[in-house]
Order: sequence, then C-alpha cells, then structure tokens
Amino acid sequence: MRVELTRITKRFGPLKAVDDVSLSIREGTFFTLLGPSGCGKTTLLRMIAGFYTPDGGEIRFGDKRVNDVPPHKRETGMVFQNYALFPHLSVFDNIAYGLRARKLPRREIEARIGKIIGSVQLEGLEGRAPSQLSGGQQQRVALARALVISPQILLMDEPLSNLDAKLRVSMREEIRRIQKELGITTIYVTHDQEEAMAVSDRIAILNRGRLEQVGAPAEIYFRPESRFAAEFMGSSNIIELTVEGYDEAAALITAEAGGQWLRIRGQRPPEGRIVLSIRPEWIGVADAAQAAEANVLSGEVLSSTFLGPLVRYRVAGPTGAPIAIEVHNPDERGIHGDGERLFYRIPPDKPVVLKG
Amino acid sequence: MGKYFKAWNLILGFIFIILFFAVLYPILFIFKASFIHPETGAFSLKSYQNFFHYPYYLRCLRNSLFVSSLGTLFALILGVPFAFFLARYRIPGKNLIKTLGTLPLILPTFIGAEAWLMLLGRNGLFAKLLGPLGIDVPSIYGWRGIVLVFTLQFFPFIFLMVSAAINAIDRSLEEAATNLGSGRLRVFFTVTLPVVTPAILSGALVVFYLCIENFGVPILIGEDFRVLSVQAYNEFISEMGGNPSMAGALSMVLLAITLGLTLLQKYWVERKSYAMTSLNPLEVKQLRPLPTFLIWLFCAGLVFIALFPFAVVMVSSITKTSGPVMYWGQFSLENFIRAVAIAPRPIINSFFLATTATLIGIVFGVVVSYLLVRRRGAVSYLLDLLVMLPLAIAGTVQGIALAATYNKGLIVLTGTWMILVLAYFVRKTPYSIKTTSALLQQIDGSIEEASINLGVPPVRSFIKVVIPIMLPGIIAGGIIMWVTTLAELSSTIVLYYGPWATMTVEVFQRIGSGDFGPASAYATILIISVLIPLFILNRVSGKDLASSL
Repeated sequence: MRVELTRITKRFGPLKAVDDVSLSIREGTFFTLLGPSGCGKTTLLRMIAGFYTPDGGEIRFGDKRVNDVPPHKRETGMVFQNYALFPHLSVFDNIAYGLRARKLPRREIEARIGKIIGSVQLEGLEGRAPSQLSGGQQQRVALARALVISPQILLMDEPLSNLDAKLRVSMREEIRRIQKELGITTIYVTHDQEEAMAVSDRIAILNRGRLEQVGAPAEIYFRPESRFAAEFMGSSNIIELTVEGYDEAAALITAEAGGQWLRIRGQRPPEGRIVLSIRPEWIGVADAAQAAEANVLSGEVLSSTFLGPLVRYRVAGPTGAPIAIEVHNPDERGIHGDGERLFYRIPPDKPVVLKG
Repeated sequence: MGKYFKAWNLILGFIFIILFFAVLYPILFIFKASFIHPETGAFSLKSYQNFFHYPYYLRCLRNSLFVSSLGTLFALILGVPFAFFLARYRIPGKNLIKTLGTLPLILPTFIGAEAWLMLLGRNGLFAKLLGPLGIDVPSIYGWRGIVLVFTLQFFPFIFLMVSAAINAIDRSLEEAATNLGSGRLRVFFTVTLPVVTPAILSGALVVFYLCIENFGVPILIGEDFRVLSVQAYNEFISEMGGNPSMAGALSMVLLAITLGLTLLQKYWVERKSYAMTSLNPLEVKQLRPLPTFLIWLFCAGLVFIALFPFAVVMVSSITKTSGPVMYWGQFSLENFIRAVAIAPRPIINSFFLATTATLIGIVFGVVVSYLLVRRRGAVSYLLDLLVMLPLAIAGTVQGIALAATYNKGLIVLTGTWMILVLAYFVRKTPYSIKTTSALLQQIDGSIEEASINLGVPPVRSFIKVVIPIMLPGIIAGGIIMWVTTLAELSSTIVLYYGPWATMTVEVFQRIGSGDFGPASAYATILIISVLIPLFILNRVSGKDLASSL
C-alpha cells in the first residue's frame, strides 16, 4: 500500500511537533523516519496510525484519504517501543487478539498463528505469559501480533531500543528479512542512524518537526543537503569558506579558507560564502614534503585517540574550528601525538557544498 | 484530541454532571445557607457575627484546635520513634508489630472511645477495681480522653509516612556523611532527620486533619467539651426544617480549616519532599540485649495499648451486662442474640448500603481513574480536584450539606436510604480512585493503543485490555471503600432516618444510652467485618492494608 503525506502539520500548544511535512512512500518500501528525540518522528508515525489527528494536511493510504478514519479501522499493524504486550494474555492470545476482533473462524485463527509463529521463531512458547519471555522473544510476539492481521502497512516505533546491542543487530536483520518476504510497506521510526542505514530502502531525516532530506541511505550519506543531515548521518566537518573563482570549464572552484586554498571539483556554488561538509574518513594524511601541493593543509594536533583499527585526530583547522580526521588501518609508527604538526589532504571531488 | 475520543468525551460530561450535583452543589448550597438570616430569611452575616460574638462558638473552635494540636503532638512523639526503631533495629516479632501497628487506622475511632469509657468511665472497670481501694481514677471525659483516643488511633499514620521516607533513603547517604567525618548522632541530626522531616510534617498535617474532622470521639467522651464538628451537628439537628444557617456557618469554618490543611499538605509539603530511589536500604542494626529489650518494650507496648480497647470491646460483647453495668468475668451470648436475632436490621442496612455504594464507586472510580491518568489536560485537572475534594471535607460537614441540599426542591433524597449511598459514594470513592489510578499509572498507554491498532474500538479496548490489568487495584480499592464505608459514623449520623440506622449509628446510640453490651456486640460485628476483608486482601495481594488509605 502506498502512503502519501501532504503538508502534514501537528501542534501541541505553541509547539509545532510536525511542521509542513510531505512524503510519498511507495508500496513495499522499508521507509525510515530518522531524527533526534523531539524531532517529530513518533508524532508523525502516530498520525499515520491514527492516534493523533493532524492539524493540517492530508494522509492517504493508496487513493483513500484516511484523516477521519479512526485508528481501529486503519488496518495498520503497529509495533510499539515497549512492545505493549497484554500482560494478562498468553503469547497465543496476544497474537490472536486482532484476529478475534475481526471475528475470524477459530480454525483460520489457529492456521494463521501457526504460520506466523513459525516465521518469527516462537514455536513452543504459545502458552507462556509475556512476563516469562526474554526481551527478544517479547519483540517477536509484538511483531507477530502486528503482522498476523495482514495489515496493509507495518508501523514500528523504535522497536529495538529496549534490546541489548548484539540482539539489536540480529533482530533488525530479521525484521528486514520478514519485511522483504511479505513485501509489506513499512514505516520505521528510529534515532539510530546506523540502524536506519542497515534496514531502510529510503530514509527521511527530520529535525524540529521539519523534513531535512529524503533519500536512499547512500544518497544521504554521500550527498547530504543540509548541515543537519550531514552531521546526523555519520559525522562531518563543517567548514565555511569563500568562493574566489572558477576555472574555464567551471568544474573547479577555488576557495579560500583561513589563508589556505582549497579546490573543489564537480559542483558549482554561487560566488561568496559557502558551507562545506567533509567527512573525517575522507581526509587523507600527507607528509611535510607534499605541503606545497594542492589541497594539502596542515595544523597542530589537538588530540589523538587510538582506537585500534583507526586513529581519530582533532587538528587545528584553517578557519579556527578544529578538523576531525579519521585514519583507518593506521601504521604503528605513523601515529601523530598531541602538539605535532599534521599535514592532510582533502580530495577535491569529495566535499559536499551544503544548501542554504 | 482526535475524533475517536468522542465516546470518552460523552462519559466525561456525564461524570462532571454527577460530580457537580454530588460534590460541588451541596457545598455551595450550605455556603449560601450560612449567609441567610435564621429568622428573616434575608441575606445577612448574622450567623458569622454570632460565631465571632459568642464565646460559646469561639470556644468550640479553640477546643477543636486544642485537641487536634495535642493529638498531633502526641502522635508525633509516639509515631516517629516507633517508625525509626522498626526501620533501623533488629527487634523480635517486628513483622507482627508492624502489621498490628497499622490496625488502629482502620478500626473506627468511636469504638476506641467506647472502650475507654468502659475502662476509665464513671462505671468503668478501673473505677470499680480501684475505687474501693481509695484510688482516684483519672477522668476520661473532656479533652484528656479525646486526646488519648486520637493519639492511639492516629499515630500509625505518622509511622506509615515516616517509615516510607526512611525506606527511601539509600545507605550511601549516611555513609557519605560518615565518610565526611560525622559521628553517628551528627549523621542522624544533619542528614537522616532532615531528609525525613517532610514526611513527618506531612504526617502531622494528616493527623491534625483527622483529629479536627473527627466526630465520634468528641461527641462520646467530650461531654461539655464541645468541638466544631459536634457543635455543627447539634445546630443542624435543632435547625432542621428551618434554615441551616448557624450549622452552615460552623460547617464553613470547619471546611476552611480542613481545606487549608489539605492544600498545605498538597502544595507545600509535597513540594518539599525528596524524591529518591533507594538501591541499598539502610542497614538494620543489632543492638545489645538491654537496649533491644527497651526498644521492643516501647514498640510492642504501644501496639498493645492501641489495640487493647478493641479487645476490651470484643470481650465485653460476650460479657453479661445490664445497662451500663458490666459483669466482667461472667460470659453470655445474650448481647449477640439481641443484636442479631432481635434487631438485625442495622446489620443488614450497613451491609446493603456499603455494598451498594462500593459497587457504584468502583464503576465510577475505574472510569475516573482512566480519565485522570490517560486523558491528561486542563479538564482532567479539574476532574481530579472535584473528585478528591471530599477528602478535604469533614464527614459532618458533608452530611449537613447533602441533607440540607436535597431536603426539598426538585430532587428530594433526605430521609431516604439513597442519600446515605450518595454520601458514602462521594466520601469513599476517592479511595477507590487512588488505588486504581496508581495501578493504571504503571500500565503504559501503548497497551491500549496496541488493542485499538489491532482493530478494537476505544471503549471496547478499555474493557477488554485495561480493566483486566487493573483488576487487582479495583478489588483492593473496592475493599478499602467497603470497610471504610461500613465504619463511617460522622455523615451517617446526620443523614440516616429511623429504619435505616446502621451498625455505627446503633453503637453510637447505645453508648449514649449506656447500653454497653449490645453496643459492643454491634461493634464487634463491625470490627470483624472490617478485619476479615482486609486480612484476605493482605493474604492475596500481599498489600499492606493500611497503606492504601
């Protein structure tokens, strides 16, 4: 089922929790709403589920406007952050709950539950009470309960946040597998960018109720449009510089940064001040002999953190703000200490000029 | 709020209508009545002028404040050490002492008063035993007896609140103080006691409130020592049919005090209390034998003295009597035969009224709890205020207000059993709401949303999912409502009429006429009816019975 949000707004008192958000989610997509707490992602999800009514805008499932459809008639399956299992019902009865509400014949209920229990691997636990299950098992029951009603849309509100790190990784893979098997349109809320990249077809980044960027994970990672998107998906050095001129083909910009020159290829921002995003892992270490080469800059090492597979430096940057540099697969003797002068190279085709 | 809450909005409207007529309107009515001239019927400040002019009325106020202050003071003097000793030291039989120590809270105060009358009254046991030896028994009548009963029945409140505060202290707090160089006494006075002080103050306010609103004790043993609640009752009885102007004015004075105490408790003391989560409770110390014995003697002795009157009542119920004369040591079932076989009506009345009010209160309480916890907002704040308001109103005042309001006009309830049910419903439903909403607060709202999401409409989701989860709280709240209703004297005495006398009324009147034997028989049935459900509740849910009050 396709989901279409058009100019959705939701206010809580003076606060605009969701501010003019439009999204188009294609059938069968694993779509993630990503953002820090308070960004409006859960509010948006709850409006799709029907627990909140938007103050403005329109929600469509397929061609049908659902703004006025009460939540119990929206045919969405929802997995809650704390699972929301009914403590007074067994695993079987929890999963059967939605089917019984639909007054399905007993035989069909049993058949459907048998099938879903197999696919979420809960065999043998049907008679247990929720309190007798581990966190991962509770998560599976919640997923089975949402899926067994064959919803048109699956909604998940930070479903993995209560699990430990290791279980989180295996559960997200399983959720992705089941989603692909069923081909169900899934809207997933999380604040964890790694989780979002691992599971999603597409990601929408939200900030203070507004949409920052929508795109495939790699698209957002390599081509963030805003400072917020650049910093929230991975980490980024944000540098402000002044465009001084272009080469003949207008393919190479020359910009000045605190007395040092930088060349950027493939983008053509307007002249004047621009904001550049450069990921720490894109910056390479150079040596003193290369100091005169294009795009080689230098600065004093402010801190150096050795983490095994990588070394993380903070170096005094050209515009005052320190530059973060990550060197992967470092050489034991090539690690620079605090106070040393570090030469580094910014590849001309990597930096991203941010909008605005 | 979304459109799917429509059903709840209707229910909310209905609840406000009920609360308006049951709680707010009667109070406003009696407020208005207090400004009506008793003879001319015009607007006037006459009743208030009388109140401030005649020393007779002012003395009632002074008396009320006097016995309440003393009762609170002594309850503190006994309750605070009691709580500390039980929390910090190893004492033999500690659990039994704790459980029995909370019992006086639930046992009706007027039965305690009856017992002390039988012991220290003019025809009491002590007078009979010691009189011939030429020893004068100290008088129980007047303020001394009132303070005695208040102290013994209300110190457990201090105990409960203070021990809850002590149990919330983490061991590290005292260890930090010791680590910083404080000796044991210094730690107690600079850390432990200050941390517990808000609980002590809070407990003191509660006890003061219970003392000043109490009716049964001062009317039974106060004699010429009149307090506000008793005087309001007397005025109302003599004004009945006319204008409840003077009774109204006295009620308003009492209401101002009880309301003030409640607000003080809610906004001042609660804000000053310290929220802590204790990971490691304080160490329970083993003292040397002699100090252990002395502490045990204090705690066990206090519980014994507090419960002794109820044992006396139970024994006297099977003792041969003739009017006020008790033949101690000679047993007979005659009192019970007279109560159960000859005049069983009060027993039936009590059970019927308490059960009816409780059933209504449970349904109402569940719905209100739900609205309070789940539909927060300005409206639920108002709802909370209205529904909890009766907890700040003395039973006598509530009774007078209801009786005066529904005496004539569109809805006439005064003189029917329904007004008793209404009074109990208004006064006791807050207990049911407290327990159910506390439980509901622990249930995450998403449980219900999960049910709605799976296709079950809101109100049906509530019935299918929320109610079953809340059931333990509903039952506990219902039991507390039922037992406190059964023991209710102050509003009953104002509102009952002839055939609808309850056990409490029966006990009260028979004490008044010196008919102690049958009074004790009804009182014993009352005590047992209160203790059995609480005992079952305690066994089934492990819930501390008195902590829910």
